[in-house]
Amino acid sequence: MSLANRMALASPQVRAVCVEANEFPYLSNQFRVRGVPHTVINRKAAFVGALPEPDFVAAVLEGAGVPVEEPHEAPSGPTTEIAAS
Amino acid sequence: MTVIPEQVRQQLKDRFETVLTGPVNLTLYTRPGSSRLILPAGVGCATCQDARDMAELLRDAAPEKITLDVVDITRDEERALADGVPEVPTIAVASDAETGRIRFQGLPTGTEFAALIDAVERVSRDEAGLSEESLEALAKLTEPTEVMVFATPT
Repeated sequence: MSLANRMALASPQVRAVCVEANEFPYLSNQFRVRGVPHTVINRKAAFVGALPEPDFVAAVLEGAGVPVEEPHEAPSGPTTEIAAS
Repeated sequence: MTVIPEQVRQQLKDRFETVLTGPVNLTLYTRPGSSRLILPAGVGCATCQDARDMAELLRDAAPEKITLDVVDITRDEERALADGVPEVPTIAVASDAETGRIRFQGLPTGTEFAALIDAVERVSRDEAGLSEESLEALAKLTEPTEVMVFATPT
């Protein structure tokens, strides 16, 4: 969550929201949170686990629909589309 | 927050004194209620008072640098809507009175408390601490992007 906050500090386009998963079970259910940290981008894409900075940034861009080159290894936890519910 | 020992308060004061450089504005979105008051579902807020205590703890650790703005969403629903804050308690962190884009939804304890302190320090120092490559990649974001990170206290 620190990386998300740092991205929000660096980019005026980013809003980082750290959600206490136990306190908002309806959100945890909506986004199928089974483990933490669980990151959801624009409520459309998600990945689980703490990624290194380059992979985290790449995953957020991918989730936001921005074409990214592959300067780094692919994220270890691939970004998955969230099915409409 | 009464559960936070005086020693920790002092440690926080000492740390902020050396680390903080610029102003930080915390906005706490809240509504009346506490864990000690049982209200119908959707009316009360079990953690709002604790979140307020926590935000005041941070402000009181560096009152010359940190300001705290409290928004009661039952009295100022328009502000909460305009700021895009759907839930309480939410603590937003920013360098000025603008709406903070770093938010903590729910009571930030455990690892989230550490992340909150980190956010306060980074905002104060305007120090994202990201690599050049990350900053270049972030510059490609042209649309508002929400990054929600679900976490638990442990």
